Amino acid sequence: MGQSKIHPDQMYIEGLAANDSAVIQSIYKKFVPKVVSYVMDNSGDKDRAQDVVQEILILLFNQAKANKLELTCPFDAYFFLLCKRKWLNELKKISNKGVTINEDAASINESAHELADQTEEFEEKQQLFDAMFHKLGDKCQELLKLSFTIKSMEEVAEKLNVTYGYVRKKKSLCIGQLTEWIQENKNFKSLKK
Amino acid sequence: MNEEHYILFDQYLQNEMTVGERKKFEKQLAEDSEFASAFETFKTVNLQLETKFGYEEEREAFRKNLKRVSDTHFSKERKTKVVSLKAWYYAVAASVAILIGLFFFNYEGNPVFEDFNNPEQAQFTERGEESVTLKQAEIAFNAKKYKEAIPLFEEILKVNKTPEIQYFYGVALLEESQFNKAEAIFNELKSGTPVYKDKALWNLALIKLKQKDYKSCKEILQTISQDYENYDDVQELLNELD
Repeated sequence: MGQSKIHPDQMYIEGLAANDSAVIQSIYKKFVPKVVSYVMDNSGDKDRAQDVVQEILILLFNQAKANKLELTCPFDAYFFLLCKRKWLNELKKISNKGVTINEDAASINESAHELADQTEEFEEKQQLFDAMFHKLGDKCQELLKLSFTIKSMEEVAEKLNVTYGYVRKKKSLCIGQLTEWIQENKNFKSLKK
Repeated sequence: MNEEHYILFDQYLQNEMTVGERKKFEKQLAEDSEFASAFETFKTVNLQLETKFGYEEEREAFRKNLKRVSDTHFSKERKTKVVSLKAWYYAVAASVAILIGLFFFNYEGNPVFEDFNNPEQAQFTERGEESVTLKQAEIAFNAKKYKEAIPLFEEILKVNKTPEIQYFYGVALLEESQFNKAEAIFNELKSGTPVYKDKALWNLALIKLKQKDYKSCKEILQTISQDYENYDDVQELLNELD
């Protein structure tokens, strides 16, 4: 992906990561109406469309923050595709009837598909990671949360009222537990790249 | 892998090993593929945790801001529809007014600044220390108390110069007819981040319009890209200038 050319629309991604209101507003003005009419034309309503859009934008924020989002196609195509797929998946969940996802591949460019796949993979990986994190004991969860929010382990120890040595060791072991689960999990492995 | 290994991994990542320990560790990485693969996963977990918790605050701020923009966007859409139902009445009222105007006043054919002057509401995200001044500026701006807002913006820009704040500062200057200063701000924005390019051009055109310099106004309008989110206004003003 490194050498593919970055599209000038990358500014939308950077704007999202920087929480720039003007960028968010212009995304709503320029790209959201199309999503809304698509959802409404496909058994949804405005509120549903609003939710889909917010979910996708939060996902893009996360992916951008993890520095894993380089746009190689117009934002419009990529964003619409993601929203569309998300909505069709919701529909699938609501109705038991099979919904055929018609991608009309010819009309959308290939790199939009590729990028949308990557974003979905990022999301899956994140969800899987979250699920594993919640499998940890409460103590591990709290300690990791503090370690990665506060960053100074001395402060973490003080907050938890334990010694520095204990916190350090416990942190390594909690991450070790997650490491073990992830290594056992085939799904995560296939998503690893 | 056993507990010892995970403790080693963390020490290595935190840069807490002696040169000798480091060498030994790296040697093991090179020779023992299982060890190396566990270490890779350990690093991935660290990265995931950093993303999950390191940006928690920013993510919350983003979520809030997103919801606000989304709510405004969708409620505006609904409002426009209501207005359009009443538009017919307004249209009648307006034509009557224009007729009266034509009869009684020397009707001027040129567009006026006031008709195109719709400054958007400022919605700044809170950013730490300067947030009190920022909030005051936001309130003053949204209440159209531009004279009050200007010094507040100037104070903020000294410590935190972002295109967003510059933009609203520029609009406030335009409203107060401080044309030279406003022009300087928008010229700077025009060549900065692409997000503000067309917005800046539109305001540069408004500066000319307010000074009744129709020719320059038109020239600037013609450079605005059709992708601009409020291109309708550009088109309308261009039509009226013709």
